[in-house]
Amino acid sequence: MTSNAYQVVWPRSAKSVSVRPLAPRLDSLEGRTIGFVWDYLFRGDEIWPVLKEALAARFPGMRFVDYETFGSTHGEAEHQVLDGMPKLIGELKIDAVVSGMGC
Amino acid sequence: MLRASAVAELAGVPTASLCCEGFVGQARSTSEGLGFPNLQVARVPGHVDVQSADDLRANVLAVTVGDVIRCLTEPVAAVTLGRDPGPREIVFSGSFEEVNRFFLENRWSDGLPIVPPTTEKIAEFLAFTDRDPDEVLGRLLPDNREATIWNIAVNGVMAGCRPEYMPVLIAAVEAMADPVYGVEHSGNTPGAETLIVLNGPIARDLGFNYEQGALRDGFQPNTTIGRFWRLYLRNVAGFLPHHNDKGTFGGTWRVVLAENEEVLRRIGWPTVAGDMGAPERANAVTISRFTGSNVVASVFGDTAEKCLPYLADALVSHTTWEVIFTVGMSTGMYRPMLILSPVIAETIAKSGMSKADVQRWLFDHARMPAERFERYISGWTNLIPGKRSLLELSRLGKAPRAYGASIDPQRLVPIVGKPEDFVIAVSGDPLRSNCYVLVHNGILGFPTMKQVTLPADWQDQLVRAS
Repeated sequence: MTSNAYQVVWPRSAKSVSVRPLAPRLDSLEGRTIGFVWDYLFRGDEIWPVLKEALAARFPGMRFVDYETFGSTHGEAEHQVLDGMPKLIGELKIDAVVSGMGC
Repeated sequence: MLRASAVAELAGVPTASLCCEGFVGQARSTSEGLGFPNLQVARVPGHVDVQSADDLRANVLAVTVGDVIRCLTEPVAAVTLGRDPGPREIVFSGSFEEVNRFFLENRWSDGLPIVPPTTEKIAEFLAFTDRDPDEVLGRLLPDNREATIWNIAVNGVMAGCRPEYMPVLIAAVEAMADPVYGVEHSGNTPGAETLIVLNGPIARDLGFNYEQGALRDGFQPNTTIGRFWRLYLRNVAGFLPHHNDKGTFGGTWRVVLAENEEVLRRIGWPTVAGDMGAPERANAVTISRFTGSNVVASVFGDTAEKCLPYLADALVSHTTWEVIFTVGMSTGMYRPMLILSPVIAETIAKSGMSKADVQRWLFDHARMPAERFERYISGWTNLIPGKRSLLELSRLGKAPRAYGASIDPQRLVPIVGKPEDFVIAVSGDPLRSNCYVLVHNGILGFPTMKQVTLPADWQDQLVRAS
C-alpha cells in the first residue's frame, strides 16, 4: 500500500433473490404433458411443431399445450402472462415447460 | 424467455429454455439473477433468422430435441453462489492507478478512469439527500440487485459526479427501477441507449448545459450523470457486454439533455416533464430508451407550415422496425422524440401553434405507406409472427382500426398511436435552425418520469458546495 492509498468499497449490492432448487426432473417424458411458452419471436412457431413431432414419435402418450394458451411472454402483456402461468400449469396438468426463444 | 422458465420452475415443473447458440452465455448470467443459476438451456445451432426452413428443422432435430429431453429428465446438480462483499466493506486499498486496475479487472468500470469510491467521498454525496443510505429503491434485473441510496452515491463518485448531483441521480434510479420503464430489457440486441431529460430550476442551479452542444460531452453535470447511468446499469443491474448486455453493436451512453425552459416559458409550451404529469417548474427527470438518432439539419421556413413537413419527414424516415411497438409487439407504445432548437420552436409558436397542435399535425402527417409498415414488422424482419397484413391485424383486433381502413397498400398509416406519443423537447443552440430526432425502443425502455426530491437544506448546501 502506498501513502496515497484509497480504501474503496464495492460498487455493487446484495442480490435480492436467493438461490432456489430447480423443480425435480421427470423420470421419463412418456405420457407427460408439455407446455410451450413463447415470446412470439425468432421462429418459435416453426420450431415448436418440429419439437412436438420428434418428442411424440419417441415418447408414447405425450400431450402438448400450445403457446396460444399462454399468450406472449415478451411484450406489453408479459407481466400478466407470467402471473397467470402457475394457475394454467396447475389447471392443465402440465408436467414440464419448454420456453423460447432466446436469440 | 428465462423469466417464464423461472416462473414454471417455481411452480414445480421442470423447464427447457430454447436459446440460439450465441445466447447460451447470456442465459447462464441471467439465470443467476432469477434465483435459478442452473436453469437448463436447450441449444438451437446458429441463429434462426438466417436459416432456411429445412436447415432449421435439421438443426432442431439434430441438437435441440436431445437438449430438451436432457433438460427435462436428467438430474441437475445443485449450485451455490459465492459470498458477496457488504456495501461498506473495504474491498481494496491502493493508489489511484491500482484502484483503477482493480476495478477494471473486476469489470466494475467502463474503461475510463473512475474516481475511487472511498467512504469519505460517499459521505459527501449522502449529505445531499435526507434519505437513509440503506433505503432500497427497487430491485434491478437481470442481476436482481438492490438499488440503494448508498450504491447510487458509490457509482456517482466513480462517474465523476459532484456531490450536489445526488438528488438527480436518485430520481434517475427511481425511474430505472419503475417497472413501466422495463430496465430488464436493457441488454437486448438492438443495443439502444437511454436519454435522461432534465427539467426544472435545478438544471440552472447545477450548471447544466442546455444551449449549444446540448448533447455533447464536456459539461460536467450533463456528462457525468450520463456516465453514471451506464455504470449503474453495469454494476447494480448487471448489464455487462459479452454477458447480460447483448447489444449487437451498442453505443456510448448519452449525456443528459436539459431543456431550455426560458424559451419554453416565453412561447407557453409545457416541458417534457410537464407532458409526463409533473407540476409546473418541478425538478424532474424523464428517461426513455432510444435506438438511434440524427440531426435534422437546416430547417428552412419562417412559419410552422413551412418547417413542419421536414420534421414529419425526419420522424418517418428514421422510423423503421421500431413500428413493432406501434402495432405488433405492443400497441401504441412507440414514443419517438423530436428536439427543436429554440429558434425553430419559436418560429413554430409564432405561427400560433401550441405543442399539442404540433403533435396533432405530426400525427396527421408523419405517416408511412401500409406496405412499408408491413415490411418492417414481418417482411424484412420476422419480428411479428404470422406474416399478417395490417388489414388482417386490424380485423383480428390486434391493430387499431385506422390501420385497416382500406385495402390500398399505399394508404398512409400513423407511425405512433396518438398525437401525444411524439415527445417534443426544446434545447440546443438558440440561434441555429437544426433539430434532432431520436427513434424509440418502445416497451423496452418506455418513457418514465420521476420528480427530484431535494434535501431540506438544499440552498445552503449548494452555497457551501460552490
